[in-house]
Amino acid sequence: MTEPQSEGETRPVQTASALSRRSFLKGAGGAAAASGVLAARAGAAQETAESKGATTVSGATEIELTVNGQVRQVTVEPRTTLLSALRDRMEPALTGTKLVCDMGSCGACTVVVDGKPAYSCLTLAVQCQGKAVTTVEGFGSPEAMSDVQDAFCEKDGLMCGFCTPGFIVATHAALDRKPDATLDELKYELSGNFCRCGTYPHIFDAAQAVQASRARSGESQTSGDSQKEGGR
Amino acid sequence: MSVQDEPKTTEPSWGKRADLDVLNRDIRRIDGPDKVTGRAIYTHDIRLPNMLHARILRHPVPRARINAVDVEAARRLPGVVHIHIEKEPGTEVRYSGDDSVIAVVAAETPEAALDGVRAIIVDATNLEPVVSPEAAKKADAPLVNYSRGAESNVTGASESGDRNEIEKIFEGAAAVGEVNIDIPVQHHVCLETHGHVVDPIERDGFVHIYASTQNVSGMPGQFRGPLERDSDGIRVLTPHMGGGFGSKFGPGLEGALAARIARETGRPVHLMLSRPDEFTMAGNRSGSRQRLRLAADESGKFIAVDLDAEKLGGQGNGSLPGAPYRYDVDNVSSKIVSVKTATDSNRAMRAPGHPQAAFGMESVIDEVAYALGMDPIEIRKRNLQSPIHHRQLDAVAKEIGWADHPNKTQHGLPENGIAVGIGFGVAGWGPGGRASQCDVTVNPDGRVVSATATQDLGTGARTYVAAIVAEELGLQVSDVTARIGDSQLPPSVASGGSVTTGSSAPAIKDGAHQMREALEAKLEPVLGAPVGGYEWKDGRVRVKGGGDDQSLSWKAVCALLREPLTVRGQFKQSLYRGNIHGAQAAKIEIDVFTGRIKVLKMVAIQDQGLPLNRMALRSQINGGMIQALSYGLLEERVFDEQDGYLLSENLDHYKIAGCQEMPEMISLIDDEDERESVCGMAEATIIPGHCAIANAIYNACGVRLTKMPFTPAHVLEALYGKI
Repeated sequence: MTEPQSEGETRPVQTASALSRRSFLKGAGGAAAASGVLAARAGAAQETAESKGATTVSGATEIELTVNGQVRQVTVEPRTTLLSALRDRMEPALTGTKLVCDMGSCGACTVVVDGKPAYSCLTLAVQCQGKAVTTVEGFGSPEAMSDVQDAFCEKDGLMCGFCTPGFIVATHAALDRKPDATLDELKYELSGNFCRCGTYPHIFDAAQAVQASRARSGESQTSGDSQKEGGR
Repeated sequence: MSVQDEPKTTEPSWGKRADLDVLNRDIRRIDGPDKVTGRAIYTHDIRLPNMLHARILRHPVPRARINAVDVEAARRLPGVVHIHIEKEPGTEVRYSGDDSVIAVVAAETPEAALDGVRAIIVDATNLEPVVSPEAAKKADAPLVNYSRGAESNVTGASESGDRNEIEKIFEGAAAVGEVNIDIPVQHHVCLETHGHVVDPIERDGFVHIYASTQNVSGMPGQFRGPLERDSDGIRVLTPHMGGGFGSKFGPGLEGALAARIARETGRPVHLMLSRPDEFTMAGNRSGSRQRLRLAADESGKFIAVDLDAEKLGGQGNGSLPGAPYRYDVDNVSSKIVSVKTATDSNRAMRAPGHPQAAFGMESVIDEVAYALGMDPIEIRKRNLQSPIHHRQLDAVAKEIGWADHPNKTQHGLPENGIAVGIGFGVAGWGPGGRASQCDVTVNPDGRVVSATATQDLGTGARTYVAAIVAEELGLQVSDVTARIGDSQLPPSVASGGSVTTGSSAPAIKDGAHQMREALEAKLEPVLGAPVGGYEWKDGRVRVKGGGDDQSLSWKAVCALLREPLTVRGQFKQSLYRGNIHGAQAAKIEIDVFTGRIKVLKMVAIQDQGLPLNRMALRSQINGGMIQALSYGLLEERVFDEQDGYLLSENLDHYKIAGCQEMPEMISLIDDEDERESVCGMAEATIIPGHCAIANAIYNACGVRLTKMPFTPAHVLEALYGKI
């Protein structure tokens, strides 16, 4: 088992071997169920370890990820983070998910993996095979925004916009988990995300507006109205 | 395309607020849908064919002699394409910052670039770090002031006033306050780090640079040297940018290195700083130490102030406007010096120097107020000339609940360890306005484009580029396309000192007004009225006072054009005025057993002339309060003084305020300000918040926090000195 390599950590570089840091031992514990999805693909260097049900991936490997409902082929290394797979390895790239701290402190890279919010900078791409990954792009488009996205626009819950994708995803996840969250509970649920411009109060307004409109409509999620600008 | 040449007949004006249909309202940002869906493209997100990812290797301590740099192993790594050595053997690393850059690796993937950086072997002899002012001021300290001819690390002394005369006034004063302020270095923490994507492959006569910058128009000239190319052949694009706060005016070393590697490899280069790079080499707000004394007479009138200060700007000079800051004091003496350390230079940061100066002054004012038994609101009014500040102090006092607060002229005491207090501070700024241009184009099919090179740092500039034109032509914001963030568009200003709105908005307004008159000239043969005889509203033009038969739809007006019509708007002094005021209040709760401060509520009021977009304005005011709260409670750059490592090099150890620190926040737009002019305002709102919090802590329990940030450790230190 190795760990994701991000900035700051300096380790000696080894040439690729079955048990180098470029290898990733898959299948231990709760991840065993996913190991069957780790299908060998052309050109992939892949071995089965001796331990029960474990699979070792080494070097550049083509895997399938289900992102926003689409199956995407992507070549990753065992140490490639989900964030890097989305932003740097996919064609076309999915750059809505942002890299800010690269160490799980700021939330700008938040995506949803199998229904739960996750920091994609701390999640390995190979761990996500067979799971449903939803990025900010998966919640809506400028022409058809989700209710959360629309509420962020309506309440000005964004300024420079660099933290915004993470907050959109985190807000969706928070309202799914706790539809009736109080303001204090919302602050707790969103406390894994940082903003520097100072949009927090308007983000809370947006989340509460979504709660109110969902309560009115009795639905868990509605898609946003088409955009009308001008504030008239 | 033709440029209209009819003479203008009237000067543009913003008009009465009651007559406005688009401006002075809550306008949804036009880039909101792109930003909330992840479609907005920032420099970080640029992906070009054949693009290299570059990564910087920094030396981890501030000062060292470089003996050898071995890149052979790195060169052999798969994916590594190019290695640039910045510090050759025999050179020195002189300070923590851009001088720490040893090498840059460009590779096929970000991971390969990082592998390359890790594989470089540096043989260096580390030298004494000199990261604190104490270390810099030691008699035998190494010289880390690298200015030509410098002989000391203490430099740039500026003195004013006659200290002997001032001492006499202090001796006869009814009340004297003194504070010894200790403010650490603060970072900008732009969520998008500094950096560029440089595409050296010439297209349409240009080399293209995507830049996370607050200075689109000024960038091509600054890339001339690094690209060895005339600035006419350099095009800078900033479609969106993730925060600047004063730190992104030039290419920096990272831009120069990206340009160099792009030139040498002939491939596009993506070089964005890592977060630790950003904390090391992207600038900061200088720290300061201030011994500040204030004297008042029995009526609370300030009669003398004396300041002894050090500016801590690393390799920079630091920034501190000095005393008495916003207040009126006749007799002032001060001595301010810069103490140079082997650390990154300070850069402009939202109201450079002002939050530091305000903290000293607002703190000592309350010391004097309580000594005299005076209400902090009253003593401020006594010493502030502007009636605007008076009404604003009253407004925030009302909103924070000052009238019902028990301790107004003396501090309270904790009950079961908890005490609640309220404090105040004021702000001011002179936002500039200068030459800026904007092209307004109307097409025969009705499409409208408003185009200026400016950048949107998150302020909402892109939205008013469209909204101002919509207002003038009676359209909706969505009818106008805003084009910004491109150095080939009409030039704009660098966004520093809250000058963008004061510069751009008048040019946009002038362009829209010229367009309106150009269209009215074409309407004269159709509808009969001369230029100036029309009203534009709800997507129609109508002869003033005329009926439907003297009216045309916008589409019909545009159909009169045979080809697109473009006019160029220019900055107009008459549309701008730059003098603004603000006041803020904070209510806090302190736990004297744990030292924890909880901010319960903050209130701010701000004037700025005509509010272009009230919602974006409230966002800016919130942002100022929140950044000040964060500065006051959390932010502190920390070096290991023994060896010189930067300990606060990422967001786990450099804390900024998050959701759970957010109090109830009230942002008030001062609607008693009826000026028919515009200007920026963002700097002012960051100045008083931390001062109001410190004063609220004192008001709660009589403990003066002079050492920022107000962490439990610093609060307990202050408390146990008192108790």
